[in-house]
Amino acid sequence: MTRPYVICALVLLLAQLSACQQEQAQLPEENAVYYWRTELVLDSTERSFLNQYHINKVYCRYFDVVMSDDGQPKPNATITFSDTLPEGVEMVPTVYITEDCMHQQHEGLAEKIVKRIVQMNETNDIRGILEIQIDCDYTSKSRKTYYDFLKAVRQAMDNLLQPSTLHPQPILSTTIRLHQLSMPSPPVDYGVLMIYNTGDPRKYKERNPILDYRDVHPYLGRLDSYPLPLAAAYPVYQWIREIHGIRVEHTVDASEILRVKRAVEKQRGSLKRTIISYHLDKDNIDRYKPETYEEIYHH
Amino acid sequence: MKKSIIISLLSAAVLPMQACGWFDTHNSYLFSAYNHQEYSERVERICDENWKAYLGSTDEYFWFNADNIIKAARQKGDALMVGYVENLRKYLDCVDVERDKQHEWNYPSKEQIAQQQRDLQAIRTYALGKTKSKLRSQHALLYMRCNMMLGRHQENVTYWEQTARDFINTVYKEMMQNIYAGALYKTGREAEAAELFVEMGDCNSLMTQFYKRRSYQAIRQYYQQNPVSKVLPFLLQDFVNNAQEAHDAGEGNFGGKLFIRDINKQEAWQMRNLCEEVLRDRKTDVPCLWKTAKAWLEYMFGDKQQAMKDILQATQLDGTVRMKECARVIMLYLTADQAKDGTAFDDYLADELQWLDDKQQEPGNDGYYYRAKDRLLHRMLIDRYANRPVTALALLGKAQDPSYYPYTDTMRVEQLEKYLTFTNTPAKSTLDKYLKANIEKNDTVLEDLIGTKYMRLCQWDKAIQWLQHVPASYYDQCGYRLYALVRKIEVEPWITRQWLTDEDADKAQQYNWHIRENLKLNFAKDMQMKEATLNILSGKALEQRCYDLAVRYAQANYRGDCWWLMRDSKSILDTVRVNETDLIAKAMEYLQQAAMSSDVSLKKKALFAMGWPEFYSEGNYWREDVWNSESGEFEKRVNRQSPQYRAYEGLVTITGLDPQENDYVTKCDEFLQFRTYYKTHR
Repeated sequence: MTRPYVICALVLLLAQLSACQQEQAQLPEENAVYYWRTELVLDSTERSFLNQYHINKVYCRYFDVVMSDDGQPKPNATITFSDTLPEGVEMVPTVYITEDCMHQQHEGLAEKIVKRIVQMNETNDIRGILEIQIDCDYTSKSRKTYYDFLKAVRQAMDNLLQPSTLHPQPILSTTIRLHQLSMPSPPVDYGVLMIYNTGDPRKYKERNPILDYRDVHPYLGRLDSYPLPLAAAYPVYQWIREIHGIRVEHTVDASEILRVKRAVEKQRGSLKRTIISYHLDKDNIDRYKPETYEEIYHH
Repeated sequence: MKKSIIISLLSAAVLPMQACGWFDTHNSYLFSAYNHQEYSERVERICDENWKAYLGSTDEYFWFNADNIIKAARQKGDALMVGYVENLRKYLDCVDVERDKQHEWNYPSKEQIAQQQRDLQAIRTYALGKTKSKLRSQHALLYMRCNMMLGRHQENVTYWEQTARDFINTVYKEMMQNIYAGALYKTGREAEAAELFVEMGDCNSLMTQFYKRRSYQAIRQYYQQNPVSKVLPFLLQDFVNNAQEAHDAGEGNFGGKLFIRDINKQEAWQMRNLCEEVLRDRKTDVPCLWKTAKAWLEYMFGDKQQAMKDILQATQLDGTVRMKECARVIMLYLTADQAKDGTAFDDYLADELQWLDDKQQEPGNDGYYYRAKDRLLHRMLIDRYANRPVTALALLGKAQDPSYYPYTDTMRVEQLEKYLTFTNTPAKSTLDKYLKANIEKNDTVLEDLIGTKYMRLCQWDKAIQWLQHVPASYYDQCGYRLYALVRKIEVEPWITRQWLTDEDADKAQQYNWHIRENLKLNFAKDMQMKEATLNILSGKALEQRCYDLAVRYAQANYRGDCWWLMRDSKSILDTVRVNETDLIAKAMEYLQQAAMSSDVSLKKKALFAMGWPEFYSEGNYWREDVWNSESGEFEKRVNRQSPQYRAYEGLVTITGLDPQENDYVTKCDEFLQFRTYYKTHR
C-alpha cells in the first residue's frame, strides 16, 4: 500500500470512529418520562417515582396542534400548570402535531408554536427551557413538509429562546416511529424512538397493539444504520379505547417490554443511554413492579 | 347561548388522554335508564329560545350576539338588560381568556390573567348588586359564574342555599344549581353533588365523579348508606353496561381482559343478588329498573329462563317511562333469542320494530332505540333469520343498515334474485308489510350485482343476461370509475402494473372522460367467447389462449388491476369471498397449461407469471419469515413445495442463473432474490 492510500485509509477510519463515538456520546446517560396529561399535578407516588428512578427530564406535552374546521392548524388540549416539577428535573416542552397539519405548508406555524411555548413558560413561571420536542406521525406524504417545518422551528427557537451558558444553542428533538426509520432522518439534534403503538389496532385479538415483539422485529435491521442519535421510549401505559360506547383496554406485559428492550439494544447499543417511559402516571407506576422499572431504566 | 359555555368544575379532572379507534361492534348498551341528552345541550337550547323570544325573532337562534341584544334592549328602553348583557359579554371575554389558554395561539400573558381576575371581581360585584332586580335570576347566575371562575366555591354554596334556591324555576336557576353541584363537589360534599348531577342529567360530571367507584362492592356500600339515593340507578346502569361488555367479550368479540371494569360472572351474580335484595327491601321507587337489571344480568350470565320470567314482571313494575321502555327493549331481545320460529314471533317482531322506529322519530330522543335495534339486528335477528336470507336482507335494507350492501355482496346469487323479486311483489304477512313499507331499493344496483355475482362464479351466460340491463351511465357514477377508464384487462400484470397516477385523474377531468359502454358486459362476453371456443383450439393457439385467459383472470381477481370488474372496492385485507370462484386458481390452471408449451417464449412468460407474488399469500410464498414461538424469533424458511418456488425453478432452467439485464425477468426483485438463493442452495 503506497503512502497516499495509507493516509486515505487512516482518514476514513478516523472519520468512521469519530462518527461512531459521536453517536454513542451524543446522548447522555439519563432517565426521563413523558407527561401526557392535561393538568400538570404530581402526587406523592409520582414524585417519589421521579426521585427513585433518577428521572432528570420530563417531556411534558404542552398542547396538541390539530387541523381546525377552517383548514388552519390550531392548539388543542393545552396543559394547565397546577404544580411544578421537582428541583433539578428539566422540563422539555413537547408538542404533538397531527399528521394532517403537515399535508401542506402553513406559513408561520413554527413560529406560532415556539412563541406559544415561550408565552406559556412566561405566564406560568417556567424557566430554564433548553429544548423543545415535536411529536408527529409523519409519513412519506408529509415528511418533506414536516422536515421543512422542523427547520423553521429551529430557526424560531434560535430567535425566541434565551440561550444559556450551558446550552448556547437550544436543542430540538422529535419522535421517531418505527415505520419512520426507513425514511431519511429529520433535521433535529436527536430523535426519540417510540417503541409503542406498534400494532394494528384492528387486529388486537392477534397482537397487542401497544407493543408486540413480532411487530418490532421487521424494523430491528434498520436501527444500527439510522444516522440520528436516538433515545428509546417504552410504553407503561394502558390504552383504553372507546368504541361506540364500549371501553376496551390494552396493557403490555412487563416481559414483553423487556424483551423488546433487549432486542433493540442488541441492535443498537446506544439505545441504552437515554431511556424514557411513556407516561408518568400513578396508575402506570402501580401497574408494574419496581423491578420492572429498574430493568426498563437499566443502562 | 353557545358562547356561554359553562365551564364545569369537573371538567378539569385529570384524566389521561387516549387515542381512539372506531369500528362497529354492534354491542351498544341495551340497559339504558336515562335519556342521554346531555344537560349542557339542553340548557343551551333553552337559552337560545329565550334570546329568540326577547328579540321577537322567528329565525332559529344559534349564536349569542351581545350587540344585537343590546341594540334590541335599547330600543325597548330596557336599561337593566343593557347592563346585564354588557357584563355578560365582559364575563364571556374572561371565559375567552380560559379558551385562549386551550385553543388559541395567543396564550394569555400574566398581565392578561391578572386583568381577567380584576374583571371577574368587578362583574361579580355588579351582578350581586342586581340580584334583587327584575332580572334577578340572570344576575344571580352571572354572580355564581364569576365565583366559579374565581374559585370561590364556598360562596356559591352559601349563595345557593341562602338565596338562589328560592328563585322561581327558570333555566338560569337550573344553571345555578349545576354550578352549585360543582361547588359542593369542590368543597367536599360529594354525595350531595352526585344527587344533583343525577337530577339534572349531567352524566358527564357524574362519570367523572364516580370513575373509580363503580364496582359491585362500591355500589353495595352506596346502597347501604342511602338506599334511596338517586345516584344508585346511574351506578347500576354503569355496572350492568360493563357487565354487558364482559358478556360480549365472552362471545369472542373481544379477547382477554380488555375492559375498564372487567366484571366476571361472580361479580355480575353478586349484583344480580343485590337487585333481588333491593326489590325485597321495597325501598326503591323504580323497581322496574332493578328487575330489568336482574333479568339482563341473568340472561347474560347463564339463567335465560329466569331472565324471561323477570323481564316479563319488570314491564309491569313502577319506573319512569324510559325505564319501562328499556324493559320492553330487553324483553324483545330476550324473546328474539328464545321464542320459537313462526308467524307469532314474526308478527310480534314487526310490531316491536315499528315501535322502535316510531320512538326513534320522536324529537329529543338520544338514539337509544336506534342503537337497541342495531344490536338486535346484528346480534340476534340476522342469525335467527340465517335460513331466510331474503328476510334477513330486508331487515338490513329496511333499517338502512351499512351492512346491507356487504350482505348482498356475499349472499348467494339465487337468494339475491329472490330478494329482487320480493321487493317488487306485494306483501302478504305482517312482517313483510313492515319490511316492504318504504324500503330503500334500486333495481339497477341489484341487477348489476346479480350480474357481477355470476361473473364471480364464471357463469358468463347468466352474467350477460343480467348485465345487459345495466346502462353504461350507471358505471360512470361508480367509485371505481377512474380505474375502469384507465386500466386494460389484456395487460399482463406480472410485467406491467397499471398504477393510477395523479395525471390520470387530471386527464379524466380535463378531457371529460366518461364510461360510454358497459365494460363488465364486454368482459363477460369476451370471456364467454374465449372459454367457449377453447375446445376447438389446439397446439400453440390453445396454449396462447390459455395464457390470455390467465391474464384476464389475474387482472379481474381482487389483487389484479381490474379488480373493479368483480368488486366495488378493494383492500389489502381482501381474500376470496364465499360464493365466488377463486380466480387466482383459475389463472394458475391456465398458466400451467401455457407453461407446457414448446414455445420457449410463451413457456417463460407463463412460468414467470406463476411466480407473481400477488398469486400467493402467507404460508405459500417460496420464502418467508416464520415466527418461532420457542426461540421467540423470526426465521427465514424456504418452502420448496411452493408453486412459486417450482415456477421460479422452472424459469431458471430457461433464463439461466444470470439472465440478460434487459430481460423482463430481471425487473422482478422477488425472482432476483430467488436466483441469488438458488445459486447456492439448489
